[in-house]
Amino acid sequence: MKTKFNGILTLLLALVVQFTFAQEKEISGTVSDETGPLPGVSVIIKGTSTGVETDFDGLYKIKAKQGDVLVFSYVGMTTSRKTVGSSNQLNVVLEGSNLLEEVVIVGYGTSTKQSFTGSAKVVKADKLELKSVSNVSQALAGEVAGVNVINTSGQPGTSSTIRIRGFGSINGNRDPLYVVDGVPFSGSINSINPADIASTTVLKDATATAIYGSRGANGVILIQTKTGKNGESVIEVDVKTGYNFSYLPRYNTITNPNEFIETAWHAMGNRTLDFDPSNDAVAYANTYLFDDKRGIHTAYNFYNITDVANLIDPLTGKVRKDVTTKYTPENWTDYGFQTSMRTEANLKMSGGSEKTKYFASFGHLDDEGYVINSNYKRLSTRLNLTHKPKDYITANANIGYAYSETMNNGQSSDSGSVFWFVDNIPSIYPLFLRDENGAMIPDPKFGGNIYDYGDSGRGFASLTNSISDAHYNSRGNNRHEFNGNFSINIELAENLTFENKYGVQYYSRTYNSINNPFYGSGASNNGSIYQTNSDALTQNFLNLLRYTKNYKDHNFEVLLAHESNQYKYNYSDASKENVVNLVHGLDQLNNYVVTSSPSTGYQLNSSIESYFGQLNYNFNQKYYLTTSVRRDGSSRFAKDKWGTFGSIGFSWLMNKENFMQDVEFVNFLKLKTSYGLIGDQAGVGIYSGQNSYTMNNLNDNISLGVRAIQNPDLTWETSKIFQVGVESTLFENIVDISLDYYIKNTDDLIFDRRMGPSLGDALIRVNDGQLRNSGLEFDINTQIIRKENFSLDFGLNGEMLSNELIAMPIDPATGEEKVLDISGRYGRSVGHSLYDMYLREWAGVDVANGDPLWNVYYHDANENGTVDDGEKIKSLTEYKQLNPNNKISKETTNVYQDATQKYVGKSAIPKVRGAFRLSGRYHAFDFSTQFAYSLGGYSYDGAYAGLMHNDKIGDNNWHKDIQNSWKQPGDVTDVPRLISDRNVNVNSSSTRFVTSSDYLTLNNLKIGYTLKDTFVQKAGISNVNIWVAGDNLFLLSARDGFNPSTSETGATSTYRYSPLTTVTLGLRVKF
Amino acid sequence: MKNYIYKLFVVCCILITATSCSEDFLEESPTEFINESDLAESGELNPIVLEGTLNGIYSNMFTTGTGGTTNHDDLGHKGFDIYADMLSSDMALSVGNYGWYTGLTQLIETIDYTSNTNYKPWRFYYRVIRSTNLMIKALGGNDAVVEGENAYNYAQAKAMRAYAYFYLSQYFIKEYDPTSKVLPIYTAPDQPNQPQSTTEEVYNLMIGDLEQAVTLLEGFDRSAKYQVNQNVAKSLLAYVYASMGTSESNLKALDLAKDVAAAYTLTTKEELTAGFNDVSVPSWMWGVDITVDQGLDLVSFWGQIDIFTYSYAAVGNTKSMDRNLFDAIHDNDYRKVQFLDSPGHSFELTPYKKFYNEKREVFGNRTVTDDYVYMRVEEMVLLAAEMAAKENQEGVAIAHLTQLLEKRFDDAIDYAYVNTLSGQDLLDEIILQTRIEMWGEGKSYLSMKRNKLTINRGPNHLNHIGEDIEYNDERLTFEIPQSEIQNNPFIN
Repeated sequence: MKTKFNGILTLLLALVVQFTFAQEKEISGTVSDETGPLPGVSVIIKGTSTGVETDFDGLYKIKAKQGDVLVFSYVGMTTSRKTVGSSNQLNVVLEGSNLLEEVVIVGYGTSTKQSFTGSAKVVKADKLELKSVSNVSQALAGEVAGVNVINTSGQPGTSSTIRIRGFGSINGNRDPLYVVDGVPFSGSINSINPADIASTTVLKDATATAIYGSRGANGVILIQTKTGKNGESVIEVDVKTGYNFSYLPRYNTITNPNEFIETAWHAMGNRTLDFDPSNDAVAYANTYLFDDKRGIHTAYNFYNITDVANLIDPLTGKVRKDVTTKYTPENWTDYGFQTSMRTEANLKMSGGSEKTKYFASFGHLDDEGYVINSNYKRLSTRLNLTHKPKDYITANANIGYAYSETMNNGQSSDSGSVFWFVDNIPSIYPLFLRDENGAMIPDPKFGGNIYDYGDSGRGFASLTNSISDAHYNSRGNNRHEFNGNFSINIELAENLTFENKYGVQYYSRTYNSINNPFYGSGASNNGSIYQTNSDALTQNFLNLLRYTKNYKDHNFEVLLAHESNQYKYNYSDASKENVVNLVHGLDQLNNYVVTSSPSTGYQLNSSIESYFGQLNYNFNQKYYLTTSVRRDGSSRFAKDKWGTFGSIGFSWLMNKENFMQDVEFVNFLKLKTSYGLIGDQAGVGIYSGQNSYTMNNLNDNISLGVRAIQNPDLTWETSKIFQVGVESTLFENIVDISLDYYIKNTDDLIFDRRMGPSLGDALIRVNDGQLRNSGLEFDINTQIIRKENFSLDFGLNGEMLSNELIAMPIDPATGEEKVLDISGRYGRSVGHSLYDMYLREWAGVDVANGDPLWNVYYHDANENGTVDDGEKIKSLTEYKQLNPNNKISKETTNVYQDATQKYVGKSAIPKVRGAFRLSGRYHAFDFSTQFAYSLGGYSYDGAYAGLMHNDKIGDNNWHKDIQNSWKQPGDVTDVPRLISDRNVNVNSSSTRFVTSSDYLTLNNLKIGYTLKDTFVQKAGISNVNIWVAGDNLFLLSARDGFNPSTSETGATSTYRYSPLTTVTLGLRVKF
Repeated sequence: MKNYIYKLFVVCCILITATSCSEDFLEESPTEFINESDLAESGELNPIVLEGTLNGIYSNMFTTGTGGTTNHDDLGHKGFDIYADMLSSDMALSVGNYGWYTGLTQLIETIDYTSNTNYKPWRFYYRVIRSTNLMIKALGGNDAVVEGENAYNYAQAKAMRAYAYFYLSQYFIKEYDPTSKVLPIYTAPDQPNQPQSTTEEVYNLMIGDLEQAVTLLEGFDRSAKYQVNQNVAKSLLAYVYASMGTSESNLKALDLAKDVAAAYTLTTKEELTAGFNDVSVPSWMWGVDITVDQGLDLVSFWGQIDIFTYSYAAVGNTKSMDRNLFDAIHDNDYRKVQFLDSPGHSFELTPYKKFYNEKREVFGNRTVTDDYVYMRVEEMVLLAAEMAAKENQEGVAIAHLTQLLEKRFDDAIDYAYVNTLSGQDLLDEIILQTRIEMWGEGKSYLSMKRNKLTINRGPNHLNHIGEDIEYNDERLTFEIPQSEIQNNPFIN
């Protein structure tokens, strides 16, 4: 149809043209992009309205005369201008990257890079697809300045925590809003197959996010799924297969059993010396090294020696050379971790005509983690169909469905954690149970050998074995997830459209925690199941009127809309035990005959209603103005439900001014500024402000327990965001630079104000205090080399963030602002950031006796030059506030409790962090790397602290650094004397374990090869791409095992599933 | 053309109507909990619902995490009974796997105000106070005149308030000194943080509440043992008086304890080793029937103490009787078999026949439905003896002591020696019998404080073995926790 129409048009034009300008000639050629011929490209003779479109094969024919300039333009591609020469043939390749006219999806509409007044960064599919990830949140790592992506777990299928522009709230919500195809998204981001995503836009500033009102304060991530293209039928298949494994370094712990025994022996000898330095350390250590109460349980003596005097040479402290063992304890890492497969396949089909466009896909992912029985499997499918039944009506249905199964064994934050075992179990303990001769015992139930649950008195995690549990128990869920939206756009009149969109997201999830009846915690109740069932339905209705008008150089777009959003969540759970059928139905409640705890079930409902409008105006496509207003009502607040938000933004395309015409190195220069007021409603509970009671059974009577106090006046947290920015393209389009500076003041902070718990409540959530985030973001991209067969690009982005409390909440007991609020290791007070550490100061190790030392600050009231009882300061900030004129002195103490808590001058917020990318192409090869970096911050390495303990020998493993412990007077070291079960405060929270969180990681590396030869084309294939890629290949940090990129504050946890490393081989074929 | 616009208008109207919101679109009520207005409306229709708020106070006593943490020793009143027994040294942590109670028994956390060990009891007992204040306010306030069923509810709330202040006074005040200022007082739920009151004021509040409770509970026939009845209120009041240590207060305590001691039969020899897991034992004055509906398992008294439960006790966080105390038990005493006397055994001196699940399979019982004892008649028998001994009524003292001992021995010869005791010797004997009888029930600590004892740990402890520690050593009393000092502007 279209071809016919074009033909007629061409014919008509030809006739007209022939009549008027007989000297013209016919120019013809093909317009293509990197993937092949491009239909529908507009070809216009500059300065006229004469033009044609390319046909299905990208061909065009147009009458023009020599010297005319042909303008080739296509949405999303750089417009190309070619002067007609002597040849009648003119082929053009359009390029699609980084273009000013490129359509940018923004809130409730589209814009272009050139005209948008706010900060929106588009991350397109080609960048997302470099990484072997299960969801887009992980793929965003390093892509956008000011966006921090925290991969909190290596469990396949985990969504990352995303923070845009710092820490928006103290205790409220810091998560951005996800919007999928124009509908606020409340499901799991995992249900959107990244292969279906055309582009992701991150909205950061007020102009960009204010239209989302009460949900935009922490930034917005817009996800646009793929659509079909007019006239282009494409079948694309990509297949990836690869390996997951644990490659990033872990803590350098003692793994040699002899080394552990020697260290334990040393620690035990020190124990008696700590009681009395004249005691016989060797004799004591020999007696108690293996001892059922004070030392390592005798059952775990794996040597063929019971008399320790024959085991350890007292002169060297080493295990004697000729010692033999009953068995060699297994290295638990070898059994807990594995190299596993990751396979992914996606089939995509798309196409369309003038009236109908479609995109359909099917994806399969099977991602096995490096911890046994941790995996994620997903089947996903999507159909996006657009049809124009009438010229003035466009209807669209875009539906996606995903079914996923997740197994996350071995990851609980308790003795079920494989990670805890791997790093913390002393290397003397065997994985498998041994008989008295040291032989393994065959398992009559599951086959193989019986695992050792440590019930013979293992000092570490007795009666548990996380590796056995990970094999024989099951923690996992399956999830059906549907998301879709249905929209109708009606052109009511010229320039006036009515848009109606219904968005729906639904999921149902069943989680099962199943314990086997033979080993571990389920053995005592003959097997057990804990099952939760939940489902959630979110419905979003949008009615929107849009009016556009161009009058001379004035261009307007106005929209008015009403939107409502309703969320319903149902939850129930049940616990049963005593399993019957061991062959089938282990995940079914009927298969267990005893109820072990009461069932629960409830619903959560919340809703938001909104009215909003926006005005976009530009003059001569040079000066742009955007203003929007949104009024939101939220059911989350008890009384004060409604809030009004809005923004205004300007931008100025300076390069279009006459005075810039001579500045040749500037291709594009935009200055922009914006200001807005945006809220956040998600930081409070769904039923905030409603005092309530829990409902329980007490001996068959109703029992109502008072829940934590609520504040009925709780309402919106509002952020005032100001931004200035510049976007530029310089030196013949070689360098792109964008800079943004913002100040975000959040008022009425959702603040968990702590109270003296003698009130009966320890905290109350209030709107009080003020927080300022400010920052500079930079994003620089350069084309270092741009040749036909060789190109090299370098991109660098980053943020410099500062965060400061401007005001603290009022304490009603005094009517004044609270001086200090301590939250964990961080102190909150005016002038400090959220993450300024408030700790006791480590003062090193006493050279004379190996004692740990901390600083105690005191006011020497009696001026005797030393610290006395009653002079010690517990908490410095408050003391200074109360006693501003007192002179403060400092002393060291070996008593941990006496040390003073204070701001230690270190913050978890880095000075600068971001990412850089080097990528390029050489003939048919292409490569891409992405590194992430962070500089200038500090984190608390709690997992390391746990490995530097003075606990009873055999209770936990040590880091190898323990070998630097103080041994004799005069030793200068930072590791105190190692004593079994004495001086246990050595590793208590202090600056001792505050560690620089500087890091450099290689997030991603990909090398690809594209076959485009005629052979391939003859086979009907337009493009074949083969690549190999690696994710999380490298991490440089202050200490092996310390990975500050896995949590918001960089603090470590011994239970964390450290990111997995993936190496993938991929193949993509386009038909 | 007109037709087209008309049609569109109709379509738009339909779409807008279908998607617009009703008036109560933004009004939502929880179903996981019940909010105050739903409770009021439901209560009007069904008054029994309102009585649930009193039961809620009692549920608090065994609810985990009520000390404001997710620690596995944060399990309500019985959790602090364990703390108390350990501080009194009668309960030894003799193997410390998993780390629970390590810092407590090393006596380092009790002097570190930043430690949660201090926070948990403070948080818990003040939480009880708030819930009682809510109830008292709902029934008309501190000076309300109440009648009928309401009077019983009111009296229970007041008794529970005094109960909470009593335990706070024992745990946080080194010794009874009327002028010392330690605890802030709250008598209404809407007060802001308060400054510290004198100990005398705290005692006056407790005595006032309990005396009123005793009066109002006259004739109250409780439906279950978790409720405070008149005898429980009397016992609490007896403890309050006894802890003051004046002759006048001792005599008041004596009268009250005598009353209560006469009202119940004592635990029999058989019941002594029947597991202490059944609230229906007649000697139990106050306790709760734990059922599946309470949802208790590892995090419970049983999960810490009983080796036959899926417990820390079974996996090397071993709580045993102090060896010296055990050795002081007469060989023919039925209570001696409550503890495993097998030197070198990993469960040595654990209360393997005092507190146990009836399956008696090590690490065997998973879901905890064994009951909690809060108060037994024996403690009042012994308190009566102690008060009598202190007030030189030695005959009364010996009579009460004998009342207990005849249920602990087969042969009267074995305890005949008590008839020869007098003065301090008699008092010491009563204290010893209290420690033996009430082991693991949180009462030794109260005795240690009011009798101003010096503790000395036996060899099966892990720390401070053989060291004399005075009852008023700062290590034996909790510190006001950091969060209070930090957030209550009146406490520094």
